[in-house]
Amino acid sequence: MALTAVPSDNGAVAAPSRTGSSTGVGLGPARALARRAFRDARIRTISFGFLFAAIAYIQPVGYRDAYPTLSSRLAFAHSFADNKAIRLFYGVPHNLLTVSGYTAWRVGGTLAIFAAVFGLLAAVRALRTEEDTGRMELVLAGSVGRGTAYLSAMAAIAAGVLILGLAEFAGLVLAGLPAGGSAELALATASVVPVFVGVGAVASQLASTRRMALELGGAAVGLFLALRVIADTSASAGWLRWATPLGWAEEVRPFTGADPIVLALPAAATVLLLMLASRIAAGRDIGTGVLPARESAEPHLGLLSSPTLQALRSERGSLIVWLSSIGAFAYITGVIAKSTSTAGISKSLRHEVAKLGTGSIVTPTGYLAFVFIFFILAVSLFVCAQIAAARHEEADERLETLLSLPVSRRGWLGGRLVLAVGGAGAISLTAGLLTWAGAKSGGVSISLAGMLEAGLNCLPVALMFLGIAALAYAIVPRASAGLSYGLVTVAFLWDLFGSLLSLPKWLVEATPFAHVGLVPAQPFRAGATVIMLAIAAISALAAVWLFERRDLTGP
Amino acid sequence: MKPAIRTEGLSKRYGSTLALDGLDLSVGEGEVYGYLGPNGSGKTTTIRLLLGLHRPSGGRAELFGVDAWTDPVAAHRRVAYVAGEPFLWPALTSAETFEFLTRLHGGTDVSYREQLVQRFQLDTSKKIRALSKGSRQKVQLIAALATRAELLLLDEPTSGLDPLMEVAFRDCIEEAKGRGQTVFLSSHILSEVEALCDRVGILREGKLVDEGTLQELRHLAVQTVEVTFVGQVPELPPLAGVHVQSAGPNALRFEVSGSVGPLIAALAEHPVMTLSSREPSLEEIFLHHYDGSDGRAER
Repeated sequence: MALTAVPSDNGAVAAPSRTGSSTGVGLGPARALARRAFRDARIRTISFGFLFAAIAYIQPVGYRDAYPTLSSRLAFAHSFADNKAIRLFYGVPHNLLTVSGYTAWRVGGTLAIFAAVFGLLAAVRALRTEEDTGRMELVLAGSVGRGTAYLSAMAAIAAGVLILGLAEFAGLVLAGLPAGGSAELALATASVVPVFVGVGAVASQLASTRRMALELGGAAVGLFLALRVIADTSASAGWLRWATPLGWAEEVRPFTGADPIVLALPAAATVLLLMLASRIAAGRDIGTGVLPARESAEPHLGLLSSPTLQALRSERGSLIVWLSSIGAFAYITGVIAKSTSTAGISKSLRHEVAKLGTGSIVTPTGYLAFVFIFFILAVSLFVCAQIAAARHEEADERLETLLSLPVSRRGWLGGRLVLAVGGAGAISLTAGLLTWAGAKSGGVSISLAGMLEAGLNCLPVALMFLGIAALAYAIVPRASAGLSYGLVTVAFLWDLFGSLLSLPKWLVEATPFAHVGLVPAQPFRAGATVIMLAIAAISALAAVWLFERRDLTGP
Repeated sequence: MKPAIRTEGLSKRYGSTLALDGLDLSVGEGEVYGYLGPNGSGKTTTIRLLLGLHRPSGGRAELFGVDAWTDPVAAHRRVAYVAGEPFLWPALTSAETFEFLTRLHGGTDVSYREQLVQRFQLDTSKKIRALSKGSRQKVQLIAALATRAELLLLDEPTSGLDPLMEVAFRDCIEEAKGRGQTVFLSSHILSEVEALCDRVGILREGKLVDEGTLQELRHLAVQTVEVTFVGQVPELPPLAGVHVQSAGPNALRFEVSGSVGPLIAALAEHPVMTLSSREPSLEEIFLHHYDGSDGRAER
């Protein structure tokens, strides 16, 4: 997943403390800090809360609508029970004959990953970013001790976890599922968050910068996800599920013979990780990490001759992370493509499966084409991250330093856009190439040209989002990162759920994802591509024109 | 010859706040101009407009006859800028930062830069993120001075520097002046401006309230005259523009705006033992403009 695509937090403005009068009691400052941290995270918490509620509501409703009868569900279960490709995304289903069993599988499997990302982001934001910016130093210079500051940050995150759990529970109950099982499922999902808060807390102690902490934590999320994928897709490695917090959430088995005792595992892991983090925190200097940050270096004078090359220099680390994680994911996807088969699946059922937003995934080719929907999403998030990085340069006022030199605004923003297009192209081709290589080694015969075409087919949508993100950056710089990430996410979920809810066609097709021909299973759609590229070009030009005419905007 | 800096009715409005109100400024080539004002009076806004980073709400700004907003790149070729806060790239070392800024600006005198690095005692192998604020300020300052640009735009350049480095900075500005470079020094460190600048402008709430050479400003501002008398302090008639204070059992202190002639004439009739007169310091001139008002409101 797109772990480096972190929407930047806003709301860093200090709010007046209303607890100043009770500082003598000791709980006053702690409460003020916790409230501050909660406010800082409110946009992320609300967005994730909506996401949790929406997915929890839409999946059961859609399933009940698409598979009203037991026989249709039997057929569905038959085709899916052993489909490793599907398990890659959603984990192992335990009972697909009931709406609740299906929900436990689809909602639980997906939201566990989101929960992990949420926990990591929350912890790194509350701990490492606060130190990175020097705000923690200010707090600790007052009457607040380290332990209090740490606990306040954790209390704020705990409130966020509660909101996510309640949002999921509400979504499930509104969709007509029994309250008991809904509570189990919400609890299973929410239990993932604290574990990754612990992971993020430890990463924040080890790393000396926010970026390094996110990379360490992101690597941990990736590792645990990989373990779950291996456990869920290979018959002999099922025990591995016990080695990953994402697997524990599955093993709770809500609705299908719940085993709440499993929740002791995340609880214990959370306590251990948080104690470890607090131990390290107590013994180190504020503003540093355990892993050494290199303070001096021999000069490397490459990639410094223009602002664009220098931007490439500072972005190359994250570009490598993008390329390698997308590449690894593409390769695994390719390898397991063979396990999809059409045996015993009727044509009408295949149509029904397509309605679930999963395309015609019952053939290897169809499945591979379907997976590219996720690559389109990833590349779109990548371009948003590039615009966010440009905005970051401006918010940190380094852009002021650049533009006081003989550097034109057009050249600077244009260079940033070229960089984003180049990165998006590289990621798309990597996805195509490694999917092909994986499929080849898994024994599926598929043409290289076809998969490269599928890779390049990610670009029109992504470039359109790049143009729109650039336009948002030119018009509303402070809100641009949130807007563009939000737009991509909504457009993607729209496509996934639009058809499921039997909305009118024009409404379903309001998202660009609905207009992509899923190469190689479907024909390439030239018309839609031309329109998307035209929107991309016009928005990018407008963005440059508008950017040349506005004031530089600080944080 | 075009002036290095010229503004005509330059104004900037942020929302409902008028940050700069009809500024008319002209700084000739080779001049060292001190730009004074408290926090929030519009100094940084002026510089952002001069650099074309913000768009004027009214009027225009020119550097060497080139419009700062419509053609910033051409204007910047002849300018080097030092910001009040050093905003640099944390992952680059100082040496890499110099290389980057040199590539972007061009025209850097590398041997002079080496000399400046020595003078400011900077370790160029350290990454920017590992440097203190003062050291990061040195990086900016060295990069700007080494370009030998015709115009140096300096926005509170010595904030964060220790007194030794401030001396080094003053030497550099004297050298720049000797080479005929124009310097626009925005500051609220009055001793620095007093020591370096040919001409001074005082900004208050977005308006230029006073401008001139130090001599001219002194002429217009309050002079302090201290007089001791033989025996008792005499009764003096009230004089326009003269403020009297007691300064001891038989001494008076006069603060005089404008000419001291009428005061001397009045004193001539009394037994004066000593008379001393002191020119106002820049600080006194400055405070005079802010006397009795809250000029420190943030914009």
